[in-house]
Amino acid sequence: MKPEPNGDLSQASDEELVRLVCLGKRELFGHLVGRYQRSVYHIVQGILGNPADSEEVLQESFLKALQHIGGFRGEAQFRTWLTRIAINEARMRLRKYRPKLHDSIDEAPEEGMDMRPRELRDWQPNPEEKLAEAELARLLEKAIRALPSIYREVLVLRDLEHLSNEEAAQALGISLPATKARLLRARLMMRDYLTPHFQHRWHHRLLDRFAQLRRHP
Amino acid sequence: MIRCEDVLREVSNYIDTEVTEDLRHQIEEHLRGCHNCTVLVSTTRKTVSLLSSSRILELPSDVSQRLMQRLAVHWS
Repeated sequence: MKPEPNGDLSQASDEELVRLVCLGKRELFGHLVGRYQRSVYHIVQGILGNPADSEEVLQESFLKALQHIGGFRGEAQFRTWLTRIAINEARMRLRKYRPKLHDSIDEAPEEGMDMRPRELRDWQPNPEEKLAEAELARLLEKAIRALPSIYREVLVLRDLEHLSNEEAAQALGISLPATKARLLRARLMMRDYLTPHFQHRWHHRLLDRFAQLRRHP
Repeated sequence: MIRCEDVLREVSNYIDTEVTEDLRHQIEEHLRGCHNCTVLVSTTRKTVSLLSSSRILELPSDVSQRLMQRLAVHWS
Protein backbone atom coordinates (compact mmCIF):
# COMPACT_ATOMS: atom_id res chain seq x y z
CA MET A 1 0.00 0.00 0.00
CA LYS A 2 1.35 3.44 -0.93
CA PRO A 3 2.06 5.91 1.86
CA GLU A 4 -0.57 8.63 1.95
CA PRO A 5 0.29 12.32 2.03
CA ASN A 6 -2.37 12.84 4.71
CA GLY A 7 -0.74 10.27 6.97
CA ASP A 8 -2.37 7.37 8.74
CA LEU A 9 -5.60 6.33 7.05
CA SER A 10 -6.36 3.62 9.58
CA GLN A 11 -8.23 6.30 11.53
CA ALA A 12 -10.16 7.62 8.51
CA SER A 13 -13.95 7.21 8.52
CA ASP A 14 -15.54 4.56 6.31
CA GLU A 15 -17.11 7.27 4.18
CA GLU A 16 -13.74 8.97 3.62
CA LEU A 17 -12.16 5.66 2.59
CA VAL A 18 -15.05 4.92 0.23
CA ARG A 19 -14.61 8.38 -1.32
CA LEU A 20 -10.88 7.77 -1.90
CA VAL A 21 -11.49 4.27 -3.31
CA CYS A 22 -14.01 5.78 -5.73
CA LEU A 23 -11.39 8.37 -6.75
CA GLY A 24 -9.14 5.50 -7.87
CA LYS A 25 -7.18 4.63 -4.74
CA ARG A 26 -8.58 1.13 -4.88
CA GLU A 27 -5.89 -0.31 -2.62
CA LEU A 28 -7.45 1.62 0.27
CA PHE A 29 -10.35 -0.83 0.10
CA GLY A 30 -8.00 -3.06 2.12
CA HIS A 31 -8.66 -0.86 5.18
CA LEU A 32 -12.39 -1.49 4.84
CA VAL A 33 -11.77 -5.22 4.43
CA GLY A 34 -9.65 -5.19 7.59
CA ARG A 35 -12.42 -3.47 9.51
CA TYR A 36 -15.30 -5.70 8.44
CA GLN A 37 -13.95 -9.10 7.37
CA ARG A 38 -14.61 -10.62 10.78
CA SER A 39 -18.13 -9.26 10.89
CA VAL A 40 -18.97 -10.39 7.34
CA TYR A 41 -17.54 -13.83 8.07
CA HIS A 42 -19.62 -14.03 11.23
CA ILE A 43 -22.75 -13.21 9.28
CA VAL A 44 -22.22 -15.56 6.35
CA GLN A 45 -20.99 -18.36 8.59
CA GLY A 46 -24.02 -17.81 10.84
CA ILE A 47 -26.35 -18.09 7.85
CA LEU A 48 -24.57 -20.88 5.97
CA GLY A 49 -22.90 -22.87 8.73
CA ASN A 50 -20.35 -24.36 6.37
CA PRO A 51 -16.78 -23.04 6.50
CA ALA A 52 -15.96 -23.70 2.82
CA ASP A 53 -19.12 -21.97 1.55
CA SER A 54 -18.65 -19.17 4.06
CA GLU A 55 -15.14 -18.46 2.81
CA GLU A 56 -16.29 -18.27 -0.81
CA VAL A 57 -19.25 -16.07 0.07
CA LEU A 58 -16.97 -13.85 2.18
CA GLN A 59 -14.74 -13.32 -0.86
CA GLU A 60 -17.68 -12.82 -3.24
CA SER A 61 -19.24 -10.26 -0.88
CA PHE A 62 -16.13 -8.07 -0.74
CA LEU A 63 -15.53 -8.45 -4.47
CA LYS A 64 -19.09 -7.35 -5.18
CA ALA A 65 -18.75 -4.44 -2.75
CA LEU A 66 -15.56 -3.32 -4.51
CA GLN A 67 -17.13 -3.66 -7.95
CA HIS A 68 -20.23 -1.68 -6.95
CA ILE A 69 -18.66 0.80 -4.58
CA GLY A 70 -19.47 3.63 -6.99
CA GLY A 71 -23.13 2.85 -6.33
CA PHE A 72 -22.78 3.40 -2.58
CA ARG A 73 -24.64 6.66 -2.01
CA GLY A 74 -24.28 6.97 1.72
CA GLU A 75 -28.01 6.63 2.47
CA ALA A 76 -27.05 3.86 4.88
CA GLN A 77 -23.78 3.38 6.71
CA PHE A 78 -21.10 1.53 4.73
CA ARG A 79 -21.26 -1.37 7.17
CA THR A 80 -25.01 -1.78 6.66
CA TRP A 81 -24.61 -1.60 2.87
CA LEU A 82 -21.85 -4.23 2.99
CA THR A 83 -23.89 -6.41 5.34
CA ARG A 84 -26.80 -6.31 2.92
CA ILE A 85 -24.54 -7.50 0.11
CA ALA A 86 -23.20 -10.33 2.30
CA ILE A 87 -26.71 -11.44 3.31
CA ASN A 88 -27.85 -11.49 -0.32
CA GLU A 89 -24.81 -13.50 -1.36
CA ALA A 90 -25.37 -15.98 1.48
CA ARG A 91 -29.07 -16.31 0.61
CA MET A 92 -28.20 -16.99 -3.02
CA ARG A 93 -25.82 -19.70 -1.92
CA LEU A 94 -28.51 -21.29 0.27
CA ARG A 95 -30.97 -21.26 -2.62
CA LYS A 96 -28.47 -22.90 -4.89
CA TYR A 97 -28.50 -25.90 -2.58
CA ARG A 98 -32.12 -25.79 -1.56
CA PRO A 99 -34.16 -24.19 -4.36
CA LYS A 100 -37.40 -25.64 -3.02
CA LEU A 101 -36.98 -23.65 0.17
CA HIS A 102 -36.77 -20.41 -1.81
CA ASP A 103 -40.29 -19.25 -0.89
CA SER A 104 -40.33 -20.41 2.69
CA ILE A 105 -37.07 -18.59 3.45
CA ASP A 106 -38.58 -15.24 2.52
CA GLU A 107 -42.17 -15.81 3.44
CA ALA A 108 -42.23 -17.68 6.71
CA PRO A 109 -45.21 -16.49 8.76
CA GLU A 110 -44.42 -13.64 11.13
CA GLU A 111 -47.53 -13.84 13.26
CA GLY A 112 -50.09 -16.34 14.38
CA MET A 113 -47.69 -19.04 15.51
CA ASP A 114 -47.80 -20.19 19.09
CA MET A 115 -44.79 -18.53 20.66
CA ARG A 116 -45.27 -19.88 24.13
CA PRO A 117 -41.94 -21.32 25.27
CA ARG A 118 -42.24 -25.02 25.90
CA GLU A 119 -39.86 -24.97 28.87
CA LEU A 120 -40.30 -22.56 31.70
CA ARG A 121 -37.77 -24.13 33.98
CA ASP A 122 -35.23 -21.82 35.45
CA TRP A 123 -31.54 -22.06 34.60
CA GLN A 124 -28.57 -22.48 36.88
CA PRO A 125 -27.22 -19.11 38.08
CA ASN A 126 -24.08 -19.18 35.87
CA PRO A 127 -24.70 -21.49 32.92
CA GLU A 128 -21.48 -20.40 31.16
CA GLU A 129 -19.51 -21.97 34.02
CA LYS A 130 -21.01 -25.37 33.33
CA LEU A 131 -19.26 -25.76 30.00
CA ALA A 132 -15.76 -25.06 28.74
CA GLU A 133 -15.57 -22.08 26.39
CA ALA A 134 -15.14 -24.22 23.27
CA GLU A 135 -17.96 -26.52 24.31
CA LEU A 136 -20.27 -23.56 24.88
CA ALA A 137 -19.33 -22.13 21.47
CA ARG A 138 -20.17 -25.46 19.81
CA LEU A 139 -23.51 -25.62 21.60
CA LEU A 140 -24.41 -22.06 20.57
CA GLU A 141 -23.40 -22.70 16.96
CA LYS A 142 -25.55 -25.82 16.92
CA ALA A 143 -28.48 -23.90 18.38
CA ILE A 144 -28.12 -21.14 15.78
CA ARG A 145 -27.92 -23.76 13.04
CA ALA A 146 -31.22 -25.24 14.27
CA LEU A 147 -33.10 -21.97 13.60
CA PRO A 148 -34.94 -21.37 10.32
CA SER A 149 -32.84 -19.03 8.22
CA ILE A 150 -34.92 -15.85 8.63
CA TYR A 151 -34.46 -16.12 12.41
CA ARG A 152 -30.81 -17.05 12.12
CA GLU A 153 -30.12 -13.93 10.06
CA VAL A 154 -31.66 -11.49 12.51
CA LEU A 155 -30.12 -13.19 15.55
CA VAL A 156 -26.62 -13.04 14.08
CA LEU A 157 -27.00 -9.37 13.15
CA ARG A 158 -28.44 -8.29 16.49
CA ASP A 159 -26.92 -10.55 19.14
CA LEU A 160 -23.59 -11.52 17.62
CA GLU A 161 -22.79 -8.46 15.53
CA HIS A 162 -24.63 -5.94 17.70
CA LEU A 163 -26.25 -4.03 14.88
CA SER A 164 -29.15 -1.88 16.08
CA ASN A 165 -32.71 -2.93 15.17
CA GLU A 166 -32.77 -0.14 12.58
CA GLU A 167 -29.48 -1.25 10.98
CA ALA A 168 -30.58 -4.89 10.97
CA ALA A 169 -33.89 -3.90 9.31
CA GLN A 170 -31.98 -1.99 6.61
CA ALA A 171 -29.52 -4.82 6.05
CA LEU A 172 -32.30 -7.41 5.83
CA GLY A 173 -34.52 -5.19 3.67
CA ILE A 174 -37.52 -5.62 5.98
CA SER A 175 -39.52 -3.27 8.22
CA LEU A 176 -38.55 -2.42 11.80
CA PRO A 177 -41.62 -4.20 13.31
CA ALA A 178 -40.85 -7.33 11.24
CA THR A 179 -37.23 -7.21 12.45
CA LYS A 180 -38.33 -7.01 16.09
CA ALA A 181 -40.91 -9.78 15.61
CA ARG A 182 -38.31 -12.10 14.07
CA LEU A 183 -35.80 -11.26 16.79
CA LEU A 184 -38.31 -12.10 19.51
CA ARG A 185 -39.07 -15.45 17.88
CA ALA A 186 -35.36 -16.16 17.32
CA ARG A 187 -34.41 -15.44 20.94
CA LEU A 188 -37.27 -17.56 22.30
CA MET A 189 -36.29 -20.46 20.05
CA MET A 190 -32.66 -20.16 21.18
CA ARG A 191 -33.80 -20.09 24.78
CA ASP A 192 -35.91 -23.23 24.25
CA TYR A 193 -32.99 -24.98 22.62
CA LEU A 194 -30.56 -24.11 25.41
CA THR A 195 -32.87 -24.75 28.37
CA PRO A 196 -32.33 -28.54 28.65
CA HIS A 197 -28.58 -27.88 28.82
CA PHE A 198 -28.75 -25.26 31.54
CA GLN A 199 -31.84 -25.94 33.59
CA HIS A 200 -31.70 -26.36 37.31
CA ARG A 201 -31.29 -29.91 38.49
CA TRP A 202 -34.29 -31.23 40.42
CA HIS A 203 -32.57 -30.94 43.80
CA HIS A 204 -31.66 -27.30 43.09
CA ARG A 205 -35.29 -26.64 42.23
CA LEU A 206 -36.34 -28.25 45.47
CA LEU A 207 -33.87 -26.13 47.46
CA ASP A 208 -35.17 -23.00 45.69
CA ARG A 209 -38.72 -23.97 46.57
CA PHE A 210 -37.76 -24.38 50.25
CA ALA A 211 -36.01 -21.03 50.18
CA GLN A 212 -39.15 -19.43 48.72
CA LEU A 213 -41.34 -21.04 51.37
CA ARG A 214 -39.07 -19.78 54.12
CA ARG A 215 -39.27 -16.25 52.72
CA HIS A 216 -43.06 -16.41 52.15
CA PRO A 217 -44.41 -19.19 54.36
CA MET B 1 -53.53 -4.92 33.63
CA ILE B 2 -50.72 -6.65 31.78
CA ARG B 3 -50.94 -10.41 31.17
CA CYS B 4 -48.36 -13.17 30.65
CA GLU B 5 -49.01 -13.10 26.87
CA ASP B 6 -48.11 -9.38 26.83
CA VAL B 7 -44.83 -10.06 28.66
CA LEU B 8 -44.06 -12.84 26.19
CA ARG B 9 -44.69 -10.49 23.26
CA GLU B 10 -42.51 -7.75 24.74
CA VAL B 11 -39.72 -9.75 26.39
CA SER B 12 -37.23 -9.06 23.63
CA ASN B 13 -37.97 -5.31 23.53
CA TYR B 14 -37.90 -5.22 27.34
CA ILE B 15 -34.42 -6.79 27.42
CA ASP B 16 -33.25 -4.26 24.81
CA THR B 17 -34.82 -1.43 26.89
CA GLU B 18 -36.93 -0.58 23.87
CA VAL B 19 -40.24 -0.29 25.70
CA THR B 20 -41.88 2.87 27.01
CA GLU B 21 -41.37 3.83 30.63
CA ASP B 22 -45.02 3.06 31.34
CA LEU B 23 -44.83 -0.43 29.81
CA ARG B 24 -41.57 -1.13 31.64
CA HIS B 25 -43.29 -0.32 34.98
CA GLN B 26 -46.25 -2.53 34.09
CA ILE B 27 -43.98 -5.44 33.14
CA GLU B 28 -41.95 -5.08 36.33
CA GLU B 29 -45.11 -4.95 38.40
CA HIS B 30 -46.28 -8.17 36.70
CA LEU B 31 -42.90 -9.85 37.23
CA ARG B 32 -43.11 -9.28 40.99
CA GLY B 33 -46.10 -11.61 41.15
CA CYS B 34 -45.39 -14.06 38.32
CA HIS B 35 -42.69 -16.70 38.68
CA ASN B 36 -43.10 -18.04 35.12
CA CYS B 37 -42.58 -14.63 33.51
CA THR B 38 -39.62 -13.91 35.80
CA VAL B 39 -38.00 -17.13 34.58
CA LEU B 40 -38.88 -16.24 30.99
CA VAL B 41 -37.23 -12.82 31.25
CA SER B 42 -34.12 -13.99 33.12
CA THR B 43 -33.41 -16.96 30.86
CA THR B 44 -34.07 -15.01 27.66
CA ARG B 45 -31.74 -12.28 28.95
CA LYS B 46 -29.12 -14.92 29.70
CA THR B 47 -29.53 -16.37 26.20
CA VAL B 48 -28.76 -12.97 24.69
CA SER B 49 -25.82 -12.45 27.01
CA LEU B 50 -24.31 -15.89 26.20
CA LEU B 51 -24.49 -15.04 22.50
CA SER B 52 -23.03 -11.57 23.00
CA SER B 53 -20.05 -12.76 24.98
CA SER B 54 -19.34 -15.95 23.05
CA ARG B 55 -16.38 -16.44 20.78
CA ILE B 56 -18.14 -18.35 18.05
CA LEU B 57 -17.76 -18.28 14.28
CA GLU B 58 -14.31 -16.71 14.53
CA LEU B 59 -12.48 -15.78 11.34
CA PRO B 60 -9.51 -18.12 10.83
CA SER B 61 -6.29 -16.28 9.88
CA ASP B 62 -5.75 -18.33 6.70
CA VAL B 63 -9.25 -17.40 5.51
CA SER B 64 -8.35 -13.74 6.07
CA GLN B 65 -5.08 -14.11 4.15
CA ARG B 66 -6.77 -15.76 1.16
CA LEU B 67 -9.41 -13.03 1.13
CA MET B 68 -6.77 -10.30 0.95
CA GLN B 69 -4.85 -12.21 -1.74
CA ARG B 70 -7.95 -12.58 -3.91
CA LEU B 71 -8.92 -8.92 -3.51
CA ALA B 72 -5.40 -7.57 -4.01
CA VAL B 73 -5.55 -8.70 -7.67
CA HIS B 74 -8.21 -6.04 -8.17
CA TRP B 75 -6.20 -3.10 -6.89
CA SER B 76 -2.62 -3.93 -7.81
